Amino acid sequence: MSSIIEVKQLQKSFGSLDVLKQITFEVKPGEVVAVIGPSGSGKSTMLRSLVHLEEITGGSIFIHGKTLAENGKYAGSAAIRDITATMGMVFQHFNLFPHLTVRGNLELAPRTLKRESSQVIAARSTELLTKVGLADKADVYPSMLSGGQKQRVAIARALMLNPDILLFDEPTSALDPELTGEVLRVIRQLAEENMTMIIVTHEMNFARDVADRVFFMDNGEIAESGTPEQIFGNPQLERTRTFLNQE
Amino acid sequence: MSIDYIIQIAGPMLEGARTTVLLFLIVIVLSIPLGMLVTLVAKSRIKPLAWLAHTYIYVMRGTPLLLQLLFFCFGLPQIPVIGEYLVMDRFAAAALGFILNYGAYFAEIFRGGLLSIDKGQHEAAKVLGLSKWQTLRKVILAQMFRVALPAVANESITLVKDTALLYAVAVPELLNYAKTAVNRDFTVTPFVVAGIIYLLMTLVLTLFFKLLEKRFKFE
Repeated sequence: MSSIIEVKQLQKSFGSLDVLKQITFEVKPGEVVAVIGPSGSGKSTMLRSLVHLEEITGGSIFIHGKTLAENGKYAGSAAIRDITATMGMVFQHFNLFPHLTVRGNLELAPRTLKRESSQVIAARSTELLTKVGLADKADVYPSMLSGGQKQRVAIARALMLNPDILLFDEPTSALDPELTGEVLRVIRQLAEENMTMIIVTHEMNFARDVADRVFFMDNGEIAESGTPEQIFGNPQLERTRTFLNQE
Repeated sequence: MSIDYIIQIAGPMLEGARTTVLLFLIVIVLSIPLGMLVTLVAKSRIKPLAWLAHTYIYVMRGTPLLLQLLFFCFGLPQIPVIGEYLVMDRFAAAALGFILNYGAYFAEIFRGGLLSIDKGQHEAAKVLGLSKWQTLRKVILAQMFRVALPAVANESITLVKDTALLYAVAVPELLNYAKTAVNRDFTVTPFVVAGIIYLLMTLVLTLFFKLLEKRFKFE
């Protein structure tokens, strides 16, 4: 099966500081990849460069075989929008729109982009809110929600555009420990539905459970990658072992 | 302070208040969009334009409003060669001065509002496929207005009181009528009546903005 995400020698530097060093990997459709590693290892930067939230300085990114970036240069803005439209992203701090209700948050993008009728959009927002267990919160503003509820709204919002790929940037890091479960349950359900996902996370148990593959990133590179059994059960590198022992 | 006297002067004073209200409405309606535009230009990547916007804000905020009004009403026609084409009705000239002055203040208020918006809002909108313009319209401006609302309310109330500067360029309005009555009738009553009319106008505004703030609470 061909890859849905293909990243070749991705590189990003600020002056003499290399944030990402020659990162190369592929993701197959339906695969769930967990990215773990210490703070400042470049996990979030790598993820964000896949949707052009970061500028890269070298390397190439192909999504569905289409060129998002080649040799350090991103495609034109129309092409970027076309390609990233197939990808959803969930942020650590939710980034919900505070001036819109929960339903408004879900429907803003599809209604603005006008690719579907408003009945179709409304039906899907109801369906997705039910799926994340928040149908009763449709008319509430985000300020009235708990962190876990906000993140579930953010996931539903990302799903509104029917993405093929979902990216999660530390989706539970801003949550109180007792609220992470409800968010992880939703992500797990998406994994069971064969959504392609890359999840940057500090939740080791979750990564071990839900991921097909785990990348251990350190110092701007993927130091080690493999199945959860390999990475958690039998890590090859000393620094992987050190990191896992600290967590 | 007989009731009869108050009723007698109230007519002409309310007439004057009409000029005040008219000026207020013209200035508010035109200076808020102007301020919005200047904020966006000041943030523009085209440097000469941004520089122009900053200079405009600096000049309008850095000189007295009274000087600006005198300049537009009496200064413009004195400019050699082009001056004769710049003669305006004094009310129009004063309104222009007010609009330009308040536009600069609103621009600064909106700039502060924009600064308060987290960059995560831009990122979320971008990842959802919105263009820069769509993001500005549907995500950023709505939140900016909410943040700026108390400051806009404050500025609007200041504007009601600043309309009294029309007195200095001899456009008849509320204060002008009051002063005339005081001189003519040797009594302080017209000033008190004028004060009450100003208070009523600012009360209406205060209640209006309170209502807006409640309406846009997002809770």
